[in-house]
Amino acid sequence: MDYSQAFEISASGMTVEKLRIDLTAVNIANMHTTAGADGTLFRPLRVVSRPGAQNFAGLFEDGSESSVYKLRGAQVFAVQEMTTAPRMVYEPGNPSADATGFVALPGVDHVSEMVNLIAALRAYEANVVAMNAAKNMAVKALEIGGNQ
Amino acid sequence: MIQEIDTATMGVLRLALDAASLRHRVIAHNIANANTEGFAPLRVNFEDQFDAVRSAIGQGQPIERGLLDGLRPTILQDAPLDGGATAKVALDMEVARLAQNTVHYQALLRGATKHLSILGIAVTEGKR
Repeated sequence: MDYSQAFEISASGMTVEKLRIDLTAVNIANMHTTAGADGTLFRPLRVVSRPGAQNFAGLFEDGSESSVYKLRGAQVFAVQEMTTAPRMVYEPGNPSADATGFVALPGVDHVSEMVNLIAALRAYEANVVAMNAAKNMAVKALEIGGNQ
Repeated sequence: MIQEIDTATMGVLRLALDAASLRHRVIAHNIANANTEGFAPLRVNFEDQFDAVRSAIGQGQPIERGLLDGLRPTILQDAPLDGGATAKVALDMEVARLAQNTVHYQALLRGATKHLSILGIAVTEGKR
């Protein structure tokens, strides 16, 4: 068994989930930021992930696996800006307020951000469990033929 | 007698350990893609290939090495759901399968150790 591959798969999953959690934090942190000096309003960000792509060296190694599916874990495909409409809040005293007294705030959906955060957290934990299981299997395999 | 060291038992154990380790990587791959849109979980097909071996054992015949030659764990994509939509990764089920696979792997290792210890008894002429 190639344990390094099992670790790499779990590590790639953790990398993706960590970015998901980071972007959720960025979205929540910018919940109340108004448009910057250049007039652009912050847009909530989302990770788009996909199964890991085949690298060039991988095309030559086949081994026992079916050549159709390569196990390369997950990878980040893109970080997407969501096209949600800005929230309009009535704050006449705010310097960013328009003529009618409304301020445009980013359309960050508090609830969906929290749901994404929990889902990413659980997925991250599941990746850690998979990595620990691989470690346990490797340690147990060293005991073949050992004392009973 | 010496060829008995590499018996069909060890052959089957080797195949099953390979299958369990591949299954581990497949489950890890599924978990890594738990939040990937449109990803269909992968499965390992291995145990279903043992019909010939089972019938040989059922008829009291020894397992010939030739029976094991074509056996090889293969990766399949999970079948689509009833509506035709791709199946989704169920994180709890994947972790349950992972735990089951780890125990299975350890049971196979125990089997290999026991099998080798029987040979050890022969080597020490039954003495402890």
